[in-house]
Amino acid sequence: MKKKVLSVLLSTAMAATLLVGCGEQAAETAAPAAEEAAEAVEEAAPAEEAAAEEAAATDGATYAIVTKSAGNPFNERTASGFEEVITAAGLNCVVQHPESATADAQIAVIQSLISQGVSSIAVAANDANALTAALAEAKAAGIHVLTLDSDVNADSREVFCNQAGVQEIGQTLLDAVLDLTGGEGQYAILSATSQATNQNAWIDAMKSIAESDEKYSKLELVEVAYGDDEPQKSTDQTQALLQNYPDLKVICSPTTVGIAAAAKVLQDQGSSVKLTGLGLPSEMAEYIGDDDAHSCPYMFLWNPIDLGRLAAYTSIALVNGDITGATGDTFTAGDLGDYEVVEIDGATQIILGAPFKFDASNIDEWKSVY
Amino acid sequence: MEKKSLWAKLTASREASLLVVLAVLLIVISILSPTFLSFTNVRQILLNNTLTMVMALGMLCVMLTAGIDISITSTLAFAGMTIGMLQKYDILHNTFLLFVIGSAIGLVCGFLNGIIIAKGKVAPIICTMGFMYIWRGMAYVISGNAWASGQDVAGFSDFGKDGSIGPYIILLVAYVTFFIVMKWTRFGRRIYAVGANPEAARISGINVDRTITSVYMIMGFLAGLAGVLSVSIYASAQPNMQYAKEMDVIAACVIGGVSMSGGRGSVVGTFLGALIIAIIAKALPLVGIDAIAQNLVKGIIILAVVILNVITQRMMDRQNLLRREL
Amino acid sequence: MAGKSGREISAVPQGGIKKTLLSWEGALLVVFIAINIFGVIISPNYNATNVLREMQKYLAEVFIMFGMGFILVLGDIDISVGSIVCLSATMACLSGNAGLPFPIVVLITLGVGLICGMINGLIATQFTELPTMIVTLGTQIIFRGIAEVSLGSGGSVSMQDVKGLMALGTKIGPFSISFILVIVSAIVFITILNKTSFGRKLYAIGSNKTAARYAGINVEKLRFICYSLIGFLAGVCGLFLLASLYGANTTTGNGFEMEVIAMCVFGGIATTGGKGNLIGGFIAAFVIICLRIALGQRNINTQLILVIIGAMLIVSVVIPAISGAITAKKKRASVN
Repeated sequence: MKKKVLSVLLSTAMAATLLVGCGEQAAETAAPAAEEAAEAVEEAAPAEEAAAEEAAATDGATYAIVTKSAGNPFNERTASGFEEVITAAGLNCVVQHPESATADAQIAVIQSLISQGVSSIAVAANDANALTAALAEAKAAGIHVLTLDSDVNADSREVFCNQAGVQEIGQTLLDAVLDLTGGEGQYAILSATSQATNQNAWIDAMKSIAESDEKYSKLELVEVAYGDDEPQKSTDQTQALLQNYPDLKVICSPTTVGIAAAAKVLQDQGSSVKLTGLGLPSEMAEYIGDDDAHSCPYMFLWNPIDLGRLAAYTSIALVNGDITGATGDTFTAGDLGDYEVVEIDGATQIILGAPFKFDASNIDEWKSVY
Repeated sequence: MEKKSLWAKLTASREASLLVVLAVLLIVISILSPTFLSFTNVRQILLNNTLTMVMALGMLCVMLTAGIDISITSTLAFAGMTIGMLQKYDILHNTFLLFVIGSAIGLVCGFLNGIIIAKGKVAPIICTMGFMYIWRGMAYVISGNAWASGQDVAGFSDFGKDGSIGPYIILLVAYVTFFIVMKWTRFGRRIYAVGANPEAARISGINVDRTITSVYMIMGFLAGLAGVLSVSIYASAQPNMQYAKEMDVIAACVIGGVSMSGGRGSVVGTFLGALIIAIIAKALPLVGIDAIAQNLVKGIIILAVVILNVITQRMMDRQNLLRREL
Repeated sequence: MAGKSGREISAVPQGGIKKTLLSWEGALLVVFIAINIFGVIISPNYNATNVLREMQKYLAEVFIMFGMGFILVLGDIDISVGSIVCLSATMACLSGNAGLPFPIVVLITLGVGLICGMINGLIATQFTELPTMIVTLGTQIIFRGIAEVSLGSGGSVSMQDVKGLMALGTKIGPFSISFILVIVSAIVFITILNKTSFGRKLYAIGSNKTAARYAGINVEKLRFICYSLIGFLAGVCGLFLLASLYGANTTTGNGFEMEVIAMCVFGGIATTGGKGNLIGGFIAAFVIICLRIALGQRNINTQLILVIIGAMLIVSVVIPAISGAITAKKKRASVN
């Protein structure tokens, strides 16, 4: 008797929670009509693979984007750019934000997309190495794989949509440091986590450029600190930098969380140390300005929406066979213009453009955009 | 005779062994970084660890009843994200009201925990684990992948600005209030009684269920308050804020001598425990430990402090026992 | 926590309790079937091939679930397992890239897990005053810290020679090696816990440590064994996780401890010790896995999936409490 009561209670509870989940689903899908068509087919012949394939054939190709994590405006803007282009082309779009910013979480999402038989997966990798197996499986299933924002091993994907060349970013940041220090003095870097692929690449580029040119010889990089993209730890690290290096002139933080935390510390303390790096205008508007009351004279970033758009056009080009991801391939990315696949350090990539500079003159215009 | 009993009293207390540990820690750090005990540093330590310290008080109450609450940072994120969004979309900018709303959200979250644990006789870690997923998920859902940032919370963040005394006052008021409540009020004694022996407490006429519910409500309230403070101090609200930091709070309590099986622990001990955690976090980058090794060193210190505390406690107990035999 | 469980000596498996447990597991089985029907209805791609393939990553976690079941029955807890997974996977990659043959790499992976578990066990049994949650919180930070230091500034490593890992991922019929191994382990561990004197002793310890000690059970030795076991199983998890990652980084295995505890609890194993059955945990693990896969295929907001799992957890612990209260009332009424 009790067994039955338990079963019924438990099953009802499950059904209720699941229904909630499905209710949410309706809002999530980009192309509800196609989805319904798929369901109609599904209802007619449940659990048959043939049905799934048929559905896939009728509702056109599906393009997926997997961001680094949920709850991040940068990722959200990238995904919205991607979605905009895909839906405008009359195709289905799947946007997936993994539950946490780890490779483990992205694996689950990628596996699910393989099951769904999507045409292409664009992924912003949380780790360069740990997605290898899942992406190989996707490729084996005939899915086109590309990366954006943060790359994986070159042979795991067809092409990488890079927001800006690594050397270019390193150069830009180092020139900003040179400018803000007045040509000589100490500077420090506040990074995200120690394993963030793109952060490490930019920092390495800064170091090698600093060594290669005489004009940077008077700059001294005192420390690379890691704030793990947590406001609290970034704050601790910034305060420690200020205390350990009284002669510090500039902090360069190439991460959105780090730069915002550092900006607040510097501005609250009225410190003479200046800040630059890569940050979201909407997060940094409060701190950007030329006078002493603001801690960050200028910073850089690329347009995340355009990055998403570029990834979308690249996905479509890959699926249509316009490009294969080989060096020298060219295609037109809608109103973004023409792009060419280039090879840098053994990685084939498409570069969006130069980093954009945000300063007191244009921050107000951009802070509401992203 | 008089002196001896005072000495015995001192060595019998957990706070004494904790003070020894704290002193050792401070001496080592001061040797490595001579300017560590400057006014600025102490101020920054307190400000940057206000959240942990405030929540540690609630965790003390929860742990005194032999409970645990691992949903606190999710509650914090939910409350913090809510008031962040209220400001982002220009619905509300009144600092006082934001504090009230954030704390109220925490109070409701805590009430749910409490009622399920007290009435449903559910193990606290399980119930709060469920809500850990739920409130964190809700924080993401209401954020809609957006953050509340510096410009959104402009006026509000003045409260937690480096240099404002607001957070310190909250910290002071919280600790003084709890010190008084836990030591000299009937409610405080009731919490101890329930934790030490729920059966006996029930027989002696204490409403155990109500006490347990109120303990989780206190915890929730403080977690909500911490959420508001977090948005104010860091001038940003992100759905993943303070992720997994509940363990820091629990560690602070345990280091401070609060027993996980209930009935034992004090406000002073909690304060010292939270202070030790805060000092470790602050000192690691200052004493020049390689960034990559900082987590490793943090873990070793926490474990060492906990074990050292056990060993000194054992030694003190043995001495007290010997003295009694004499 | 252990103190609380002291009052329920009757929790050692016997007629009445066993019946209750069976009913919980029966309910779980119904839910499991329901979830699968639900999956087929909501997603056109929810079929055996896809589910078995997507399951790989989660299966690795199930190994730890068995160990966690033992630990929870003892009335202890181990929150360091995620970090052990990270450390053993890291060591596997580093040793593999150093050119060691694959069987040695496997031994190192499992060995690292075992040693980590033994360290936990040693501290937990030497300093019995310490709550195990705090011990394993400390080692959680330490084990991951060691992995962070060994990984260096990149924080990430990929296995260069993946032949061995691919062999681990091979399939026998429709089933992967890890799937078969999970089933075999399930049979072994469920038998150990239910049918052997070792298992019964664990229940005795979990129900009342002092009584168990007086009954001549070497409590600390058994606790040590269980911690070593869960460490070893975390090593196994690391190995199979690697087979679906081909690389490790500092976040590998993050949060596994909570997911595994959730599986156990949903399966009816009480964190207060002495209660529950591994069969429940086993079925519950697959309920959660299938639910995640089904909802994932519909591209439901991943955070919302967490909310659903959280709600399920609470519902699953509240229901027995309510139904228990009802039966207790009925009993009292009939006695009167």
